[in-house]
Amino acid sequence: MNEQITLKMYEIVGSELCVASDDGQKVHDEIAAALKAGHAVQLSFANVETVTSAFLNAAIGQLYSSFPSEEVKERLSVTDMDPDDMLLLKRVVETAKEYFSDPQRFEMARREALGEEDEE
Amino acid sequence: MRLELQRVNSDYSGFLQLTELAHGTSDLALKAVELDMGAATWVDANMCAPLGAILYRVSRGLNAVRLTHLRAKVRDILAKNGFLSTYGEAKRPDRFGTTIEYMRFEPKDARYFAEYVESRLARKEIPKMSAALLKKFRESIFEIFSNAVIHSETNMGIFACGQFFPGQHRLDFSVADLGIGIQQNLMKKRGIVLSAADAINWATEGKNTTKTGPIPGGLGLKLLREFISLNHGRMQIASDRGYWELTANGQERTDNFPYPFPGTVVNIEINTADTSAYRLTSEPPDDIF
Repeated sequence: MNEQITLKMYEIVGSELCVASDDGQKVHDEIAAALKAGHAVQLSFANVETVTSAFLNAAIGQLYSSFPSEEVKERLSVTDMDPDDMLLLKRVVETAKEYFSDPQRFEMARREALGEEDEE
Repeated sequence: MRLELQRVNSDYSGFLQLTELAHGTSDLALKAVELDMGAATWVDANMCAPLGAILYRVSRGLNAVRLTHLRAKVRDILAKNGFLSTYGEAKRPDRFGTTIEYMRFEPKDARYFAEYVESRLARKEIPKMSAALLKKFRESIFEIFSNAVIHSETNMGIFACGQFFPGQHRLDFSVADLGIGIQQNLMKKRGIVLSAADAINWATEGKNTTKTGPIPGGLGLKLLREFISLNHGRMQIASDRGYWELTANGQERTDNFPYPFPGTVVNIEINTADTSAYRLTSEPPDDIF
């Protein structure tokens, strides 16, 4: 496997507040690019004070729309995260897995993510 | 045109008045509007967020809004938190540092909003809260703001205001938007038709979400409800014709308004003396993914 890449939340967001969905999207795009390139990804939450479900849904929950959960489990890890925030992340992940367990929703989300048009 | 406002508390009767004000001003254009506040013996400062949202909408119809006959106590509060600055009055110094100013944000202002909250909570006058409580409160406010950004589709902004009551160990905070409301959002995104009050209830339960795209949702309001319930605080949501509240003893109730609130308001009131740990388990999970 290719070497592990560490993504620093503080650096990508530029603040100790990981609260906005838009910032989560930036993180998501970097994780997705690294996973697609075959890397394992470590997310560092060092010096992050606050995270919200909105941020985590966009950054991490969204990954389950385009990567199998086994692949996420095998290649994604977090470090330096506050224990309370880890509990929040766990709930976000569980919710995302359930959200995408609906095949129709999964397909719609996949198409939207890839920018595909609906079939006529 | 002259309209009246009476006492505005963070409860059903307070919101009912605001919905009536919204109804009475919904079609106005190019008018002089006087809001007579002579009968308003009290205004909960945080309710400046939904009140400001309604008056902002009135002003966008090129109406000239004037607030008249404010009682001294109400004028003092609304001048300290900057609400009256919109209507031409000078801001008064907040010597006790108990206000979280009335502000309007654009949906893209998440970072600016976060800084606003952080700087107000960092003031030395703010009552001492446990680190766990402060963290949960902060998160809750950001969840409410994110909810408004993600769901409201507003182009009129997001309005926020808060107030500390040190003697009562209370901290109240409100976020209001002028967006499509929970009921319409649910109908539009998921095709589910519910009354406005039932739609709010739906949004605060389980893993329900109106999201349909690649970003999952469905946690923001549930997290809030859980936290406020553990804290024995209070929470109210007004959206369209629906009203939902969580009381300090954990009871939930819903009601309807005769006229809609033109968006969504979320009010939270926390008990600042609470020392709960707010961790559901003592150890973080080993297996997140």
